[in-house]
Amino acid sequence: MSRTLPMSLLAVVVLALAAGASLFLGRVNIGPHQILDGLFSSDVNLARLVVLELRLPRTVLAVLVGAALGLSGAVLQGLLRNPLAEPGLLGVSSGAALGAVVSIYFSLATAFSLATPLLGLVGALGAGALTFALGRGGTLSLILSGSAVSGLMAAFLAMALNFAPNPYAAFEMSIWMLGSLSQKSWDHVLLAGPFIVAGVAVLSTLGRAIDALALGEQQAESLGIDLDRTRVLALVGVGLAVGAATSVTGSIGFIGLIAPHLVRPFVGYQPSRTMLPSALFGAALLLLADIGTRVLHTSSELRLGVITSLIGTPFFFWLVVRLRRMAP
Amino acid sequence: MRKALRIVALGVAAAILPGMAAGSSAPVKPQRILSMNQCTDLLVLQLVPKARIAGVTYLARDGAQALFPGAATGIPINYGTPEDIIRFRPDLILTGDFSLAVTRRLAKEVGAPIVEVKSARTFDDVRRSLRQVGAAVGEPDRAERLIRQMDIRLAGLAARPSARPVRVVAWDGGATVPGTETFANHIFQAAGALNIAAQPGGVFTGFDVERLLQANPEALLYGGGARPLVQNDESRHRVIRRIFAGRRIGYPEVAFNCGLPQSAKAAVDLRRQLDALPSRPQAGR
Repeated sequence: MSRTLPMSLLAVVVLALAAGASLFLGRVNIGPHQILDGLFSSDVNLARLVVLELRLPRTVLAVLVGAALGLSGAVLQGLLRNPLAEPGLLGVSSGAALGAVVSIYFSLATAFSLATPLLGLVGALGAGALTFALGRGGTLSLILSGSAVSGLMAAFLAMALNFAPNPYAAFEMSIWMLGSLSQKSWDHVLLAGPFIVAGVAVLSTLGRAIDALALGEQQAESLGIDLDRTRVLALVGVGLAVGAATSVTGSIGFIGLIAPHLVRPFVGYQPSRTMLPSALFGAALLLLADIGTRVLHTSSELRLGVITSLIGTPFFFWLVVRLRRMAP
Repeated sequence: MRKALRIVALGVAAAILPGMAAGSSAPVKPQRILSMNQCTDLLVLQLVPKARIAGVTYLARDGAQALFPGAATGIPINYGTPEDIIRFRPDLILTGDFSLAVTRRLAKEVGAPIVEVKSARTFDDVRRSLRQVGAAVGEPDRAERLIRQMDIRLAGLAARPSARPVRVVAWDGGATVPGTETFANHIFQAAGALNIAAQPGGVFTGFDVERLLQANPEALLYGGGARPLVQNDESRHRVIRRIFAGRRIGYPEVAFNCGLPQSAKAAVDLRRQLDALPSRPQAGR
C-alpha cells in the first residue's frame, strides 16, 4: 500500500485540478468570478445553467467513464497477463456500440429519449454474456471468444451502416461511434452511473486474484484462487462498467490501455497496486481529453474518441519501442 | 430584368437541349424518366403522371411522405448507381448537381439525355430548376403553374413584413446547423427570421449547446416530418427541453434542403408559427 499511496495521491491531485478546470472551460467563455457569482445567485442565469446543467454532469460522467476504462484495463491486463489487453477485448464495447446504432437505425430515440444508451447497455450485456458462454474454461478461450464476439458485433455494425435507411442515419451512426461527452446531461449520469459503480465494485474485489495470477495460472490455483470465478467476475465487472460507459459516450479507445501502463512503473509492477491509480489516471486522462475537445475551436466538434486515439497511438509506439529495448 | 432574361434564356436552352440530344425534331415527351436525386424526385413527381416515371431514388418516399403523401408509392426505386441506368433503360435521366462520368457514358449508350439540376440556394433557383425540369420532361406549362402558386405565397409573405426579425437557429443536436450559404437560411429570411448561426461563408457548422444557451434564440427549429427522425437523444438535453419549452418549431426538412414549390409553403408555415410564439421570455439570462 505504501507505494500505491503517493501515486494515488498524485492522481487525485491531477484529477481534482482537471475537474476544476472542466467547470471553468468551455465553448462559451465565462469569467471565473462571473461563474462564482452565478452559482451563488438564486435566480436563473447563464453561468449557473452552463456550469450546473452542462459542465458538471459532463465532468461527473468523464470521471465515471474514465475510471471504468482505467480500472477495467488494469484488471484485464492482470487477468490475461498481457500488456495489450484493453476493455474492448471482451466484446462489450462493440456490443454497446451495436445496441446504440440499432436504436439510431430504427429511430427509437424519437419514441423515448434515452433509447440509445439503454439499448447500448442491453447490447453490452448481451455481448458479455455471449463471450462468457463461448469462452468458459480458460484464459485463452476467453480472449478468443472475446475477439470473436467483437468481430461479430463489428460485422453487424458495418451492416447497419451499409443498410442505413438514409444518409442522415449513416452520418449519425458514424458520428456516435466516435465518442463524445458533449451535451450529456444528468439523465445520462443517472442511467450509466449505477452500472459503472456496480462494475467498479465487482472489479475492485479482484486485486488478490490478479496478483496471484502474475505467478501463472497453476501457481494461482495452488494459492487458492478460483480461476473460473475470477474470470466470471472480471467479465461481469467489465461488462457493467465499460458497457454502461460506452453506451452513453460512444467508443473511447486507448484510455483503458494507457492508464495502467502509466502507473505500473511507479507501483512496483504489482498488478493489484495498479488498480486504484489506473482508475484515477483514467478519469483524469479522459477529463483532460474532454477539456481538449472544448478548448480546441474547430468548425465542427472534435470528438472525444478522436482525441484519445490521436494521443493514444503515439503512446502505443512508445510502448512497442520500450518493450523492444527491454527485451533481451 | 437582366436576371429574368437570363432565367428565360436558361429555360429555353433547357427546353431545346434535351430534344436535340434525343435526336428528334418533334418534341416527344419522355415516357421513362429516371430520377437519381431526392430533389429531382420531388420535382418530377409533381410535374408528370406516375406512369411516365421509370424510377425514383430510395429517398423519394421519405420526402414525398412529408410533402404529398402517397405520391411515390408504386414507383420502382433506384440507388443512384450507374447500374440503375442499365436496369431501368430510361429515356431521360435527372440528376443532382453533377453526374458521374460512368453515368454519363452509360446514359449515352442507352441514348438517354442527362439533365443536371443544380441544387437551390434561393427561390430564384427554385424557379430555374422547375423550368429546367419542366422543359426536360415536356411539361413547361405545369412548371409555370407551380411557379405561379409559389410566387403568390412568397408575395403574401413579402407584403406583410414582420416588425422585427425573430432570432432563431435550426438546432437538432448541434452537429450540423445550416449557416449562411444554405437554402434553409434563405427560407428563414423569407419567413422573417434571423438565423443566428449565419456567419459569412458558413455552410453547415457545428453549434455547441453552451453557445446555444448564451445566444438564447427566441425559437429552436428542428427538422422533422421530412425524414424518419434520426436525431438521437442529444437534442433532448433536459436543459434544452426546459429552456425552450413551447419555443421549438418543427419544419419539413426536405423542403428546406431541396428547392421545391413546397419550400414557399414551408416559409409561410414557419412565419405563422413564429407569429404564434409566446412573447419573448427572459430565461437563460
